[in-house]
Amino acid sequence: MTNPTNVQRSRRGGAGEVPLQTRANTIVKAADHATPLELSDITIRYGGGKGGAEAVSVVEGFDLTLHAGEMHCVAGRSGSGKTSILTVGAGLTLPTSGRVFWEGDSLESMGDDEIADRRRALIGYVDQGGALIDGMSALENVLLPAVPDGEVDQRRDMAKDLLDLVGLGRRMRHRPAQLSGGERQRVAIARALILGTRVLVVDEPTASLDRASANRIISILKDTTSDGIAVLVASHDHELVRLSDTLTELI
Amino acid sequence: MCAYAIQVSGSSMNAVQRFIRSKVLLLTAAILIAAMCLSVLVQSQSQAALNRTVDENSRGLYDVLVQAKASSGTLLQPEIATGTGGIGFDQLEAIRKLSGTAVAAPISLVSRVTQNLETPRLDAMDFLGYNSGLAGTATADQATGATAPDKWPAAESVLTDEAKKYRLTASAVSSDGVSEQTLFKSSAEGTLGKAKLLEEKAGGGSSIRIAAPEDETGIKFPSPAGGSEHNLFNLSVALPMAPEVTESVVAVDPASERALLGTAGDFLAPLEKAPPADARNAGAVGRYFEGLFTNGIDLSELEEGPDFLGVKLKYWAPLMTQYQQAKRTGELTGDSQAIPLVVRSGTSLDLTYNVKIEEIDDAGKVVNDVGTVSRSLGKDYLPFVSKDPFVLSWPGSTDHSSLLGSNGNFNQGLYTPAKWSTDFSAAPKYQDGETAANGAEGKTAVPGEWVTVNRLPEKSATGGPVDQTQREPVDERSYRDSVATGQKLAAPLAMVYGTFDPAAVSQAAGDVNKLPLGGYDPTPFSLVKDAEGKAANAELQPSLSATGLASQSAGAITDYYGLAAARGYTENAAVIDAVRVRATAPGSWKEAQPEVEKLAADIRSMGLEATVVAGSAREDASIFVPGYSKDDAGKESALGTVQQSWVRQNAADAVTGSLSGTNITLLFLTLCGAALLTGASTVSYIRKRRTEAGTLRAMGWTQRRIRSWVLAEFGVGAILLAAAGALLSLLSWSLTTVLVTAAVLVLYAGAALFAAQQLRHRDVVDQEPQHDERLIPVDSPLTFANRQLATNKFNTLSLAIAVGVFGAAVGGLISLLIDIPRAAGASALSGLAAASVALPSILLAVAGVAVGLVLTLVTGRFELNAKRQYLGILAAMGWNPDMLRQVRLFENALVGTVALPLGVLGALGIGLLLAPYAALWAGVAGLVAVLCWIPIATKVVQ
Repeated sequence: MTNPTNVQRSRRGGAGEVPLQTRANTIVKAADHATPLELSDITIRYGGGKGGAEAVSVVEGFDLTLHAGEMHCVAGRSGSGKTSILTVGAGLTLPTSGRVFWEGDSLESMGDDEIADRRRALIGYVDQGGALIDGMSALENVLLPAVPDGEVDQRRDMAKDLLDLVGLGRRMRHRPAQLSGGERQRVAIARALILGTRVLVVDEPTASLDRASANRIISILKDTTSDGIAVLVASHDHELVRLSDTLTELI
Repeated sequence: MCAYAIQVSGSSMNAVQRFIRSKVLLLTAAILIAAMCLSVLVQSQSQAALNRTVDENSRGLYDVLVQAKASSGTLLQPEIATGTGGIGFDQLEAIRKLSGTAVAAPISLVSRVTQNLETPRLDAMDFLGYNSGLAGTATADQATGATAPDKWPAAESVLTDEAKKYRLTASAVSSDGVSEQTLFKSSAEGTLGKAKLLEEKAGGGSSIRIAAPEDETGIKFPSPAGGSEHNLFNLSVALPMAPEVTESVVAVDPASERALLGTAGDFLAPLEKAPPADARNAGAVGRYFEGLFTNGIDLSELEEGPDFLGVKLKYWAPLMTQYQQAKRTGELTGDSQAIPLVVRSGTSLDLTYNVKIEEIDDAGKVVNDVGTVSRSLGKDYLPFVSKDPFVLSWPGSTDHSSLLGSNGNFNQGLYTPAKWSTDFSAAPKYQDGETAANGAEGKTAVPGEWVTVNRLPEKSATGGPVDQTQREPVDERSYRDSVATGQKLAAPLAMVYGTFDPAAVSQAAGDVNKLPLGGYDPTPFSLVKDAEGKAANAELQPSLSATGLASQSAGAITDYYGLAAARGYTENAAVIDAVRVRATAPGSWKEAQPEVEKLAADIRSMGLEATVVAGSAREDASIFVPGYSKDDAGKESALGTVQQSWVRQNAADAVTGSLSGTNITLLFLTLCGAALLTGASTVSYIRKRRTEAGTLRAMGWTQRRIRSWVLAEFGVGAILLAAAGALLSLLSWSLTTVLVTAAVLVLYAGAALFAAQQLRHRDVVDQEPQHDERLIPVDSPLTFANRQLATNKFNTLSLAIAVGVFGAAVGGLISLLIDIPRAAGASALSGLAAASVALPSILLAVAGVAVGLVLTLVTGRFELNAKRQYLGILAAMGWNPDMLRQVRLFENALVGTVALPLGVLGALGIGLLLAPYAALWAGVAGLVAVLCWIPIATKVVQ
C-alpha cells in the first residue's frame, strides 16, 4: 500500500529546498544528548500474523533526528504511516525493527515503567482530534499528566496559564462535549505542555478544522518551538508543511 | 414478518441477516430460550421425581391412627400406648366392618411389671476333688454328660488352707448415657478358706460333710442377703439385692398384628395359639405342669419345652417357679390367671453389678487386691426368664459343676412372682415451644411428680422383711400419672411363649413412615444440649438412674385376655389405647389418598379421633427437660435439650408444596436474571445502533420507519422465542412453561419497544452544565476512577447490578450445595424429596451463575472501547502501567462496592428461600464472589 521508500528534505541551514535524499540502509548512530528524539532505521509492518492476513509494510528504513526548537513535519497521504511514526516516536508502540532514542537513550533498554516516566518528562503527545477525557473539565484534562507525580495542585496555575495561552482561559470549566474540535485540540496541546515537555508530538492537529482555527493551532505550535521545544507533527496541511523546519514526506 | 432492506455499511441486509449480525440480540434470544428449557426441566423432571419420592415413602404399615382423643398439635408423640384406653371393642369391630378397612390392629399398655432380680452371688472355686465318699454321692444320680468320678481332676481352689480375711464391696451402677448413677454400695468382711470333706462317724454308719476351715468366719452381707456357704464345687457368697427392673407389657390382637407386620410379626404365632381366658386359670396350668413332672418327662422334652395345647413351651420354668412360690405364700387364688407373654430378646437397660474383692489384715488394711468382677444385663437377658443374671465368679475360678452333667433348665425363670402394677401411664406432657427455621417444633417436657422407683423388694425370697437401708433410694422423675383401677386383682402368673426382636419389628415398619407401634419400638432420645446450653452428643439409654424420658421396648406382648387378667376390666370396656388401620386402597399415597381420607372420615363419625398418618414423615422434635435430677439438698437441675424423632403430619403435601415453591422461586430468579440480561443487551444494542440510526435519519428515514427497522430485528428473535416456547410447551404439556414463554415474550417485546423508542429520536443537543467545581478533584488513580464512574452512572449502575446478580447467584448455588437435604423443609421425607430434585436445582443455580457472568460481560462491554480509549490517552501522557492498573482496579472496586449489598443481600434472600440453614453461607459466598470478581475484571480489561 505504501512505497517503502521514505524521503526527507530539510530547510535547516539553507533557504532553498534540499534535494530529496534516499535514506534507506543508512546506519544511524545516536546523536548527542541534546537531541531529544531520534528515530533510526524504523520499519513498521502490520499483519502477517496467525490470521493469515498478508503483511503490509507501512514504513521502511525511516530515519529522523529532531533537534530542540525544531518543528519537523511528517506529511503524506492517508495510510502512508504518519501516525505510526508518531506513536513509535512517542514510545506508544514498538516498531517492527529499528531503534528509537530519547535524548540519546535507546528505548530498547527501557522497561514499560521507565518509558512511561521518561515520556511524561520528555514528550507531550497530542492525539488526532485532541482526545480528551469525557466528564472532566478542560482544566482537569490539562492537569491529568501531573497526577502521577502528585503535582496537580502545584501545576494548577500553570495549567490556567497554558489554557490562556491557547486562548481558552474562559473555557477551562467546560467539558469536552462543550468544546469545538479546534478547542479540544488546543486543550490537548496545553495538556501536552503541562509538564514542561521538550518534544511535542502532534497528530493531524488541523484536520477537519476551518482555516482560522487551523492557523491558530499552527501558531501555537510554532510558538512552542521558540521556547526550545521540538515539535514532531504529522499533517498534510500545506500551511503547516510550509512553516515546519524540516519535512518528511511519505509516499 | 416484513423485512426491510436497508443500505448499511455498504451491504444490503434484511432483518434476519441484521439479527444474526447483531450478536447481542442473538445471545439474548439464546439465553432466554435456555431459561425456558430450564423451566421445562424443573417442571417436568424434578416434579416427577418429587412426586415419585413422596409416593414411595409416604405410605407405611398403616394409614390411619385411631385414638380416643384428638391430638392438639400437628406432631404425634412417639409412644402412643398410654394405658389410658378410650376405645371399646365394639368400636374396634365397627372399624373392622368399614368397607375401606383392610386391617385394624388395636394396642394397649397392659401393665408395668416389676421383676425381682434377687439372689446375686459370688462363686469362688473351691473344688474338693474325688474321694470315695463323694464318688458315691455324685454318681448316685449321674446325669447326661457327667464325667466318671475316677476321671475328675485334682482338687483345686482359689482359697487357701488357712482362712484369710477378705473385704467384699458390692455395688450396682446404672447409666443413661449421660451420667452414671450408683444405685447402692455395700461392704462386708470376714475370713474365707479352703473347705474339706469330712467323714463323720455316726450311729448306724458314717456321713460325708463339707466342712469349712476352723478359723473361717465366713462373710455375710446384711439381711436379706444370706451368708457364705461351701458346696461341692465352690464357695458361694450371697450378695446384696439386685435392683428391681420394671418392664412394660402391651396387649395386641395377635392375628391383626401379624396381618399388619407381615412376616416380621411371625413371632406372635405362639401367642395366637394361646388358650382363651377360660383356659388360663393359673392353678390349673400349674397343676398340669406338675402332672407332667410327676408322671415323668425326659430331658430332651424339657429342653425343647413340653407341649402345652399345641405350643412347645420352652420357657416353662418361670410359670412353675411363680406357681410354686405363690402356692406356698398363699397368693394363688382361684381367680389367678396365667398370662401368655412374648418377651423381648435382650435389653438396652444399662445396669451393671460389681463386686470388689480385697484381702485385708486384722487392722482392715488392704494387703492384696484380688480384683473386681462385674456383670451387666445384655443381649442374653430375657425379661421374665432370666432369673439371676448377676452370678459372679471369683477371679481365677473354674466352674467344675459341669462334671455332674446337665440337669436341665430347672433354675431358669422368675424366682418369685412378678409384681404387676397398673400405676401408669399418661403420656409425657409437652408444651409447644418455638418453631425452628426448618419447621422443627421445640417442646418442653412438663415435669411430673417425684416417685421412688429404685427400691428393694418389700419382702425377701424367704418372705422376710428387706432392709431398705442397704441402699439409698434414687428419686426418678416420672412422667406417668396414676390411673389405678382401685380393684384388687388376683396375682397373675407370667407364662412365656417366646421372644421377639424389637429391632426386626422396627425395620419392618420402614423408615419414613415409621409411626410408633405402641411401646415396643419407642424412639430413642439423644441429648443435644446440656443444662448449660452447650452442645452435647449422647444417646440417652434406659437406665435405673434419673432418666424418666428414655424408655426401652416393652418387655412383653400379650393379648387382650392378658390385659383383662392384669387389669380386671369387664366385658367391652374401653381399654384400647389406639387402633392402627390400614386401608384396602392399593397403590401409592396419591392414588390411595381419597379412599384413606374417606375411611378416616367414617371413623371420625364414630366419635373417635382418626389421624391420617399416610403422607407423614419423621421429624426431630427438640424437648427441653427441666428438673431432671435432684441433689441431696433437693435442688433440681435440668437435663438440657433432648431430641427425638416425632411424626410430622401431612408432610408429603407440605414437602410437595415446599419444593414446588422452591422450584418456582428458582424459576423466578432465573427469569429475573434473564430480564436483567435482556435489559443489559438492549442498552448495548441501542449504543451500537445509534450511529446507524443517525445515518438512516440523515438518509431521510422517518421515525416510523426507523422504529419498524428496529422492531423487525427484534421480531426475528421473538419468532425464535415463540417457536421454542410453543415446542417446549407441547413437549412438557405444562401451563407453567406456557406462562414462562409468555413472560419471556413480554419481556422481549418490552425491550424491543424501548430500543425502537430510543433509536427513532434524534440525539438531544448536549445541555450538560459546566463543570461543577464541587466534584472531587482528580488527583490520583482513585479519584480518576471515581470520576469516570460518576460520569457514566447508568453504565456503572448496570454493571453493579450485573455483578450483584452474579454474587447472589453464586450464593444461592453455594447454599443449595451445602443444604440440599434440608433445602425445602425439615423432615426426613423432605430430605429424600429434596435430594430427588437436587440436580435440577443445582442446574438452575448454575444457570443463575452463568446468567450473572454473562450479564457482567455484556454490561462490561458497554464501556470497554471507551475504557481502552481513555486508558490509551493516559498512557500517552505518561501514566505508567502500574497507575493504569490502579485505575482499572479502583473502577472495579468501586463497582464491586456498589454491587456488594445487592450480592450479599440477594444471596441471603435466596438462601433463606431455598436453604435456610445455609443462608449465612450464601451471604458469605455472595460476598466472596463479588470480591473475587474485582481482580478478575481488572485482569480482563487489561
